[in-house]
Amino acid sequence: MKGIRGISQLSSRLYAAQAARKVEAEHVNLHPQDVQVTKLPSGLVIASLDNHSPASKIGVLVKAGCRYETPDNLGVTHLLRLASNLTTKGASAFKICRGVEAVGGSLSVTSTRENMIYSVDCLRDDIDTVMEYLINVTTAPDFRPWEVSGLTYRVKMDKAQAAHTTQIGVVEGLHEAAYKNALCNSLYCPNHMVGNVQSDHLHHFVQHNFTSSRMALVGLGVDHSILTQVGEQFLNIRSGAGAVGAKAQYRGGEIRMPSTGGLVHSMVVSEGAATGDNDALSFGVLQHLLGAGPQVKRGSNSTSKLCQGVAKATSDPFDVSAFNVSYSDSGLFGVYTISQPTASGEVIKAAVNQVKTVADGGVTAADLTGAKAQLKAQFLMSLETSEGLFEAIGTQALASGSYCSAEEISKNIDNVSLTDVANAAKKFVSGKKTMASSGKLVNIPFVDEL
Amino acid sequence: MAARAPVSPPAASGRLLLGLRKWYYSMSGFNKVGLMRDDIIHEDGDVQEAIRRLPEDVYNDRMFRVKRALDLSMKQQILPKSQWTKYEEDVPYLTPYLEEVIRERKEMEEWMKK
Repeated sequence: MKGIRGISQLSSRLYAAQAARKVEAEHVNLHPQDVQVTKLPSGLVIASLDNHSPASKIGVLVKAGCRYETPDNLGVTHLLRLASNLTTKGASAFKICRGVEAVGGSLSVTSTRENMIYSVDCLRDDIDTVMEYLINVTTAPDFRPWEVSGLTYRVKMDKAQAAHTTQIGVVEGLHEAAYKNALCNSLYCPNHMVGNVQSDHLHHFVQHNFTSSRMALVGLGVDHSILTQVGEQFLNIRSGAGAVGAKAQYRGGEIRMPSTGGLVHSMVVSEGAATGDNDALSFGVLQHLLGAGPQVKRGSNSTSKLCQGVAKATSDPFDVSAFNVSYSDSGLFGVYTISQPTASGEVIKAAVNQVKTVADGGVTAADLTGAKAQLKAQFLMSLETSEGLFEAIGTQALASGSYCSAEEISKNIDNVSLTDVANAAKKFVSGKKTMASSGKLVNIPFVDEL
Repeated sequence: MAARAPVSPPAASGRLLLGLRKWYYSMSGFNKVGLMRDDIIHEDGDVQEAIRRLPEDVYNDRMFRVKRALDLSMKQQILPKSQWTKYEEDVPYLTPYLEEVIRERKEMEEWMKK
């Protein structure tokens, strides 16, 4: 009797053990994915990274920044930036707004000098809904005349807010003075075109610049096959290369914007490296070597070479940092100084001389390693946020049709040598300079006096 | 009269209907002061929004016709017969805009109900 009871107890125990094992087997392992990039025959580039996140971010990037504006439609990209919520052929403005809100998503537009980026954020399950609105906005906008003329007050608001920030004014002025075409166009609508950009201008610009071969469809937290399907079906509206953008011609000019502001902002740059060039990373390392902003919040920025050099020239409060920007066919590198009106001349001259000492070899190996570490850290930390990662994948996919992993780029940064950095500094010293200044300009030298 | 007419082939009844419409149009009398049908539509909220959306040249034409009609009504005159609006020329220029405004308003109401 005892034995039989023992057997029946044994069998029930075995069942229990089997049930436990089955639960363990259902646990799903999520593997980390790599960025996948596909290029369709129409020229559209599709890039995605499935990071298993519950929120997705999908965007359409188009090579239609303000560099592609022509003299008769200046300011059209500013209007386009504000026109993303207007009526499209598939959905009215009201429906787009409420539809995106209803799923808790958000639709936003960013535009740079080279690209326009339309992006939507939503939960993973709602991708279909927001994707429909995104496709509508990028491929089939209506630009109804009364809606477009309703954007004028928003253009004025944008310009008024930008006028409050001196930095924006100086950087826009610098580009206007540095280039003859393309890159000299401002991100903001010029004064003479406010209220004069019509629906036809917008239609014309979209027809000629929003073509498949100049677009990229990028997704974070989406399946690559879904994106490819959407790209093949919906983003094939316009083929061909559209209007060819002109190559940017650097001219090296000067622009002085007097104002009654308390501080003087001034930039002195010369032509730098384009994004694909060999010395693009050297300019980046040089920027961090010279000092690209304090590494300690509210600190004294004592390690910056520029700050050390300028501190010898003046005892008034000042700020100086290196400025480096790269576009697809050109770049700008130089110094940005903020100083008191009385000491502004000395500050600018001291900053430029400091770059000259770097060019003449006044850099130690320790400085170089420090600068490389700073550049790598800044780059890698920018990939930590979903916005930064999205932008990195998107701009690379659009510019070159492929993606360089973070490890590759870190390795390339490590390979920058002392001579590369010195050559980059020599390029600044010997190149034709561009200058942009704003504030009380009494003591600011002209660009030929530097 | 039309109701008592015998059933005629479609082409003939089409012409009959057209003739009736033209006669009714000239009886309405607004074409004698040079107005179009869409000029005299009653201006409620939807119609005002549709008028706001008119392109500038169409809006200016509308204003001119209305002013001319007001002037004639003050003088108790009508235009000479050669200047009356003809039935063929009467374009319903406001109707597409008006339909769009009504469609948008209905969409908004549908959404609010949810």
